[in-house]
Amino acid sequence: MSSREEIIKALQEVKVPAKAYPGAFTAQVIGEDTLADFLYSMQVVSTTVIQVKEAADASPALDKHFPNMERVHLNPLADGLSLADIDVLEIEGDFGVAENGAIWLDDSNLPHRVAPFICQHLVIYLSQNNLLPTLQEAYIRLGDKQTGFGVFLSGPSKTADIEQSLVIGAHGARSLVVVLTEC
Amino acid sequence: MHMLSHAEASEKFIANQERTDWHDDTLWFVRAKRDKASKLLPEWEALREQASQIKEHMLSNLPQYLLEFEANAQANGVQVHWAKDAHEHNEIVYSIIQKHGDKALVKSKSMLTEECHLNAYLEQRGIDVVDTDLGERIVQFRKEVPSHIVLPAIHLKKEDVGETFHQHLGTPKGNKDPQFLTEAARIHLREKFLEAKVAITGVNFAVAETGEFVVCTNEGNADMGAHLSDVHIACMGIEKIIPKRQDLGVFLRLLARSATGQLITTYSSHFAKPRAGQEMHIVLVDNGRSRQLARDEFRNSLKCIRCAACFNTCPVYRRSGGHSYHQPVAGPIGSILAPNFDKKANVDLPFASTLCGSCSNVCPVKINIHEQLWFWRQDLMKEGLAPAGKVLGMKFMAWMMANPTIFRMAGGMGRKVMNWFPFLVNNGLNPWYKQREMPAPPKQSFQEWYKSNRL
Repeated sequence: MSSREEIIKALQEVKVPAKAYPGAFTAQVIGEDTLADFLYSMQVVSTTVIQVKEAADASPALDKHFPNMERVHLNPLADGLSLADIDVLEIEGDFGVAENGAIWLDDSNLPHRVAPFICQHLVIYLSQNNLLPTLQEAYIRLGDKQTGFGVFLSGPSKTADIEQSLVIGAHGARSLVVVLTEC
Repeated sequence: MHMLSHAEASEKFIANQERTDWHDDTLWFVRAKRDKASKLLPEWEALREQASQIKEHMLSNLPQYLLEFEANAQANGVQVHWAKDAHEHNEIVYSIIQKHGDKALVKSKSMLTEECHLNAYLEQRGIDVVDTDLGERIVQFRKEVPSHIVLPAIHLKKEDVGETFHQHLGTPKGNKDPQFLTEAARIHLREKFLEAKVAITGVNFAVAETGEFVVCTNEGNADMGAHLSDVHIACMGIEKIIPKRQDLGVFLRLLARSATGQLITTYSSHFAKPRAGQEMHIVLVDNGRSRQLARDEFRNSLKCIRCAACFNTCPVYRRSGGHSYHQPVAGPIGSILAPNFDKKANVDLPFASTLCGSCSNVCPVKINIHEQLWFWRQDLMKEGLAPAGKVLGMKFMAWMMANPTIFRMAGGMGRKVMNWFPFLVNNGLNPWYKQREMPAPPKQSFQEWYKSNRL
């Protein structure tokens, strides 16, 4: 008998009293103002937000934020390793979550899965029409979308493994800028 | 080698009072952050109840959900393996590595691989395992094990880390700046990520409905490893299954808030299919979980999502340190999981608690941890595994308390002895005297007081 069969058999032999699935959970809306909640969460996760009418308007602010650094906009680069040399990578976010600042990115947003992690600094463009109050709504929005890889990304990488001192910039991006557009 | 019991190891830990206080205060601070984060959500208690019910439902249908997960993962192009125990898990992982002929790999945090002692197994076979979580890399350099499942190096001070990095990474002696040391680790580990062909990650949640699994980190180390590797091996205990994708909305709202008081971890990565040209493997591990499932009193310990809120709140953990528990998973939850692996070796752990119940109160999936600690105590006593002194003491206590006359006499004698011969209790032979002043005995018992005061 294979280990698979042995494990399944052992589990089937245990008589666990039946417990019904509780059904979907309905979140209570936390605040009245999803945009304000999102901006607050961005602050909590050490993220700079640039609010503009449309994406192109962000250039002056980004030039100022990343002086003398090359910015690479989403570009179907095949090789993950070559992304290691990119200073600032710009990508499009799918939707954002107000309660925790998480932004959904998946294979359809990413030139390579490692892109948002390996670049030194990350810029995500997001429309403020694509903000949802809680993670629960986010999963409803995601539905049964099939994607090989997807990530809820909230802020730049960080660690507090040395004496609980917060350090921004662990293995992933050292900083995150979210360009929030009106349309 | 004699393994120190929890009490013996704790005695060493608390010998340094300044450090003990720091450890205690720091973990309490994390607990306070958890309180703040949880109170921001009006539906916190409803979320806990929902999470608990989903997990209980999962445990009552575990084989079906495992098979559903396997079928969906395979349809996604992922290779699924089954391991009965730690040894088989290690063999499977090693055989995958061997097939690719690699000698080095990067690993992100996985308590399951700690439970299986995978690092030692692979190192004996000439494989260089690089732990990539900063805290885990620190303890790996020091040839230690994590002392906390979320904060692996919480037992260390920045001076210790500075010295360790000076020895292993060549940072300047005496530099103990966390920012500087983290940067040194980033540069060191980036090199490892770019070289490694094989990456191992743990799994926080595996979704039966979709065959995808979710890995949560703040550092981004799991993603750096997995996305740059040719082979990604994800190792998980069979209880990590959840039925539906929508359930992630419940668990991810609870996990980071309970663990560190964050709104969510920086990265909650959903892996469904290998990327083009990559191989993805999942190892499903039983290692005693089916045995625990069969124990009615301890079954729901399998609901645990490894947030460590019970560690941070525990007055015993905070003042004894993770290593005192001599188990990969320490703290209150570790103390109810450990006897399932080996009752004799872990007989001390269910007793390493005040049974105050704080662990159960903060648990995001409502495990009755403190009750299970008490159930284990009864089980271990019944099997005659408790230390002889404890057995004798409890038998004497039971006999005395069952005899009101003797109980009254003993109380009266005890008060007199403490008054007349205080040195008989205030000495090193009395374990209750350690780190404590004995209280002054009252002049009369409650019963005597009641008799003379009742109207």
